[in-house]
Amino acid sequence: MNFKLTNRALLVIAGLMILSSCASTTPTCSSPQTKNLSAAIDNVEASLMEGCQAHFDRYYDDLLSIAEGDPKPENKREFSEFLVWSSDQGLLSTRQAQEYYNRYFNVKFMSLKSDYNNCSHTCPNKQKVLFDMERELSDKERGLLKVSLDNDGYYRADQLFQEVELVLEATCTACAASR
Amino acid sequence: MKTPARLVFPLFLAALTTLAAYDAKASAPTIRLFPTTVVEDLKQTGNVARDMETGLQEVIGRLDQQQELYQQSKCDGAEDDPGCQRLARQIGATYLEMLTIMEERLPDMEHTVNNTRQSLEKGLRNELGRKMTSWTLQETLLGSKAEQATAQASPTLRGRSGMRLSERFKQYYQLVATSGAKGDQSLAVLASDIYLDMEETSLLIQRTRQEIARATLMEQLNQSFGIITPEMIEVVGGVKTILFGDETAQTIVAGPPPGSVEQAYRSPLEQ
Repeated sequence: MNFKLTNRALLVIAGLMILSSCASTTPTCSSPQTKNLSAAIDNVEASLMEGCQAHFDRYYDDLLSIAEGDPKPENKREFSEFLVWSSDQGLLSTRQAQEYYNRYFNVKFMSLKSDYNNCSHTCPNKQKVLFDMERELSDKERGLLKVSLDNDGYYRADQLFQEVELVLEATCTACAASR
Repeated sequence: MKTPARLVFPLFLAALTTLAAYDAKASAPTIRLFPTTVVEDLKQTGNVARDMETGLQEVIGRLDQQQELYQQSKCDGAEDDPGCQRLARQIGATYLEMLTIMEERLPDMEHTVNNTRQSLEKGLRNELGRKMTSWTLQETLLGSKAEQATAQASPTLRGRSGMRLSERFKQYYQLVATSGAKGDQSLAVLASDIYLDMEETSLLIQRTRQEIARATLMEQLNQSFGIITPEMIEVVGGVKTILFGDETAQTIVAGPPPGSVEQAYRSPLEQ
């Protein structure tokens, strides 16, 4: 009887220990607390490796906010390396990594990705395309201007947006005239 | 006005011919937005615009003076006054003179503007609309890094109205001439700008022509009463906008960007 009780107690203790060990490995997925971008990237990478992949968007946003606090041209490289690492770890596909990088740090607009010609595809969706570009321009303002201090890059992106708007207006009018 | 026009249009012609030659010579897969036909149409439109300006400038100037005199004499609200009636008849006669000149010149103007518009329309539809995706269009507008450096060194025309018609063609000439040496990105913007301008001008001319016959008849009737109608003022305003631009809406010519786009770092993710 005593033996049975001891066994039962041991089983309960073992169960509790297993449960407590599970609780200690559950990732908290908290945002990085440091204001240093490199350290924050290290924290985020560790969290992502611990199973916080679902929080990638939030982490990326956190990193951008931290970088805004210490804007410099080198930040571009930090973000690029972080995204390449994410892609290498299989957290992101190459295409997703490119999307994350170019949307914020490149002059070119990812919203203009298309496999079909302008008359057949872009013109019928012109308003949506321009709306998406406008939203992307505000991300570029954050990435190029506020994070990387790349004023020229942002100026060019803004100019490109205006040029695309003008050229699409003319091209789509010309496309519609043939119908 | 006359002297600059005389100087500008031979230059305009020469530059456009050079552009056509450049366009033909370019070995790279160049977009053909300014073939010889468009260049010829632009030249013709410029000539017609100059002739029309020359013909109308004096009449419109006289009309402005007469209207000013009418207002200074406080004739608004004193239409029964014999002096004011005489002034109103004079204004009406000058207005009829303007309509007659326009009736003669506008068909030519409309014809050449439409030709330019149609040629550009075809080029834009084929070269940018059917042969390109939005991504390739973007790459064309951005150009290569080397081309960007050159493109940034010169201003780009922005806005389409607000200046004299012949002055607009002078600017087109300057832009077309300098864009020719830079590459497709400037030409695409320039062709779009000119095309939309021609579209707008064509509509204005169409509306004005529709109004002329009616306005002429009305004014012939009004001559016997010495009345200035709101339509008269509106038509004169429309003509001035087409030919001499809107004084209040000056075209903005953007300055060159502050520096080069070239950055020290290029990500392997960059597209």
